[in-house]
Amino acid sequence: MNLKQLLSTLTIGVDYVSLREVYTKSASLAVRNEILEGFTSSEDHGLMIEVMVNGQIAYGATNSFEPSDVLKTALKAKQQAQAARSKGLYHFSLDQRPALIGEYLAPAQRAIEYFNPNELTDLLVSLSAAMKTHEHVLSRTANFSMTDTFTHFVSSNGSDIRQKIIRSALGLSATASNEKGSQRRSFGNDFSSQHGLEAIDKNKLIIQADRIANEALSLLDAQECPTETMDLILAPDQMFLQIHESIGHPLELDRILGDERNYAGWSFVKPSDFGVLRYGSDLMNVTFDPTVIGQNASYFADDIGALAKKEYLIRKGILERGLGSLESQKRLNLPGVSSQRATSWNRAPIDRMANVNLEPGDSTFADMLSKVERGVFMKTTRSWSIDDYRNKFQFGCEYAQLIENGKLTKLLKNPNYRGITAPFWNQLKMVGDHSTFEVGGLSNCGKGEPNQVIFVGHASPACLFSQIEVFGGGK
Amino acid sequence: MQALESSNFETFSHKIFNELQSDESLSLTLSGEETLFTRFSQAKIRQITNLQQGFVDFTFIKGNRTLSFNLPYRASEADVGIAIKKLRESRGWIDRLPEDPYLVRPAYFGKSIEENLFDLPNEEKMLNDIFEASINSDLAGVFTSGEVARASTNSKGQYHWFKTKNFYLDYSVYNQRQKAVKSTYAGSQWDALMLKSNLDESINKLNLMNIDSKKIERGAYRVYLAPSAVSELLGTLSWGGVSMGEHQRGNGSLRELWEGKKKLSPKFTLSEDFNLAMSPRFNDRGEMAPNQISLIEKGELKNFLISTRTAHEYKLESNFATDWESMRSPVINCGSISRENILQELGTGIYISDLHYLNWSDRETARLTGMTRYACFWVENGKIVCPIQDLRFDESYYKIFGDGLVDLTDFSEIIPYTGSYFQRDVGGSKVPGALISNFTFTL
Repeated sequence: MNLKQLLSTLTIGVDYVSLREVYTKSASLAVRNEILEGFTSSEDHGLMIEVMVNGQIAYGATNSFEPSDVLKTALKAKQQAQAARSKGLYHFSLDQRPALIGEYLAPAQRAIEYFNPNELTDLLVSLSAAMKTHEHVLSRTANFSMTDTFTHFVSSNGSDIRQKIIRSALGLSATASNEKGSQRRSFGNDFSSQHGLEAIDKNKLIIQADRIANEALSLLDAQECPTETMDLILAPDQMFLQIHESIGHPLELDRILGDERNYAGWSFVKPSDFGVLRYGSDLMNVTFDPTVIGQNASYFADDIGALAKKEYLIRKGILERGLGSLESQKRLNLPGVSSQRATSWNRAPIDRMANVNLEPGDSTFADMLSKVERGVFMKTTRSWSIDDYRNKFQFGCEYAQLIENGKLTKLLKNPNYRGITAPFWNQLKMVGDHSTFEVGGLSNCGKGEPNQVIFVGHASPACLFSQIEVFGGGK
Repeated sequence: MQALESSNFETFSHKIFNELQSDESLSLTLSGEETLFTRFSQAKIRQITNLQQGFVDFTFIKGNRTLSFNLPYRASEADVGIAIKKLRESRGWIDRLPEDPYLVRPAYFGKSIEENLFDLPNEEKMLNDIFEASINSDLAGVFTSGEVARASTNSKGQYHWFKTKNFYLDYSVYNQRQKAVKSTYAGSQWDALMLKSNLDESINKLNLMNIDSKKIERGAYRVYLAPSAVSELLGTLSWGGVSMGEHQRGNGSLRELWEGKKKLSPKFTLSEDFNLAMSPRFNDRGEMAPNQISLIEKGELKNFLISTRTAHEYKLESNFATDWESMRSPVINCGSISRENILQELGTGIYISDLHYLNWSDRETARLTGMTRYACFWVENGKIVCPIQDLRFDESYYKIFGDGLVDLTDFSEIIPYTGSYFQRDVGGSKVPGALISNFTFTL
């Protein structure tokens, strides 16, 4: 029985019912010190049933497709919707459940059916060996993972959406250790994308493997990052995290509504801030764009069938729009985006990021350097922490260089910086151009009760911030 | 739900084992649950989801090679067919994989069945009790109830089954100033009066927060960390802090303790103690850990957690930790501060109920950062003065559980794990509160 036929059997006396089938196949390989540590493949296949009764929504999830089990789960959801109605926070209508028909296919050309563990193991072993540049490089890891998620969404008001999202990521890390301490460098972990095996270029990866191993070794002899307030240039692979934590999360409308207060937290942003808050300097332009071809969180529609569109969240530093679903938009009477997403079939969809990108500016990296008398250039996320209002943050990076009189000089280890979100973004002094722009993707954004992880995308140029508190490690 | 019945899983696994050839072995690990998640905001239902799920991890070994796969499990005959098909497909791959020099072969670790299935009232009754107890309050959080099963079996005859039926209300209540108090009501036996008492205590505590918050300047302060805050600290310590593998690979965060260059406070004793009975003693491989493993005793390192794979690689003895070598059932020994004397012993400083979003700021020196959250107060001369504005700290474990540790409370609390990424977590920690001097705040 196909999904539409299954839906047609659910004549259970509700105002709305939808089925969201999610079938995920994934495979991953991990190599450490030239030894295969694990080859794992997995399949997950289940069904989320959503019902609406007099405006109250309830969900039932099962990994059985037996029509009797599906009916039983749907009836339980109906009963829960009826029981919850008098205690419901907000009652919705079909306006929050659009009828949409369409398809999406990720651009990956060589997907999971081409996953050959033997060939990939050989590749990862070669990459691990390329990091063996010195006996002090104690740990040399190379990982590859690929996920193929097929989602079919049908609803009683006519939605029929099929989406196939294929994602892959290849990550490397080298840890060097001696009597002076330990230092780790990594590559690729924040660059998950909707490309497949065709994106793997062994020669380029070997160069990166060699680079990070040597950088980890060099960092053992580097001086500590100074404790000082000075200019800071962040590479794209740190900007992704900066955008994620201090733009993406605070703009989620369900946080602003207080739904996330008990777990992920809420936001310093208030509903009245939209359209007026100066979030950052006028160089700051941030978009929600699930239509970028190949970026990690691109799709045709979210998990309730809302059409994906590019929208400006922040334009010339002014806050315009939040990351909120049709449900949150209705509750707040504010514009939002198509971002009601669930980690899989077993969770109800909530407000999420998709691709949240900082648009490029017009400065080259050399331009930015030339404007810095004394500062630090930091690369690659190492540590992250931010408060539950998304204000006070502290982030650490793997690698840094001192900038003196417009030039990169000494290598610095254990670089960290801290700040408060809106003042920090208002200290954005220069935004890199396309030559500094990189597209990344993360797979582990956590949120929600029950908890959910989801994949998101971020793209950014390198950026210069003026007068930021930076500091190093040590006691 | 069929997938949560031990006999069904045993039958399923035997049918798969019967397919094995002479040089093959197989281990199976089951995770299953039947759960109702009810999400609250403003003391009303925001989302409600009933969930039934089960899946099985298979670890397949042939000769000196291994691979693993994971499949949905519904305890249906179709599951057997799918698993056997996958097993046959795996044979096509495994011969061409390299040999694993640190291979962990399945072994016989006995048989056990443990089921803690107290009767719970129906879901409507429990939800009504929550509504009645939280009336007129602004409550946010999640109520979770139902059955969870974990099992491990292998082709050497080992079979361990763990099933529990429990609930938790993980919540926080808010005042008009949007200051909050957080708590959890959890267990296996429902008691509406206990629930009411738990919520009343939180709401009363919230009244202490109806005055302006004090902005604390950066610097070092004497602080009291309540048990839930101490439990958060253990969570981060579990991330590479007590793992032998991570230390061997240069990524450990208690390197100086390991090398004998540093000690923690003689008042600090930490163990992995399965007598808490909140999580199964068997790990993902079905290996049974000792009931108790001393990790740090009176400030000195006794053991790191060692998985069998790490043991093979570095020629050590396994204590049957998980592959992640993180704590599953940590317990910190109590000290001598009585509940009544906490504020007196704190004197002038900060009372911290919860910590939030912890992460390493420098693993090398065991330094971590994070935020204060929920009910945190400025205390002067043993009396609560006012709530504080949230603060960021950056401090080393060598200070927190080392020379900065003044004392621990003479009571401890069980903090249940309420995580639910992919599946409902089981387990918890048992920790006292801690009084610490010169605790550093940076923002």
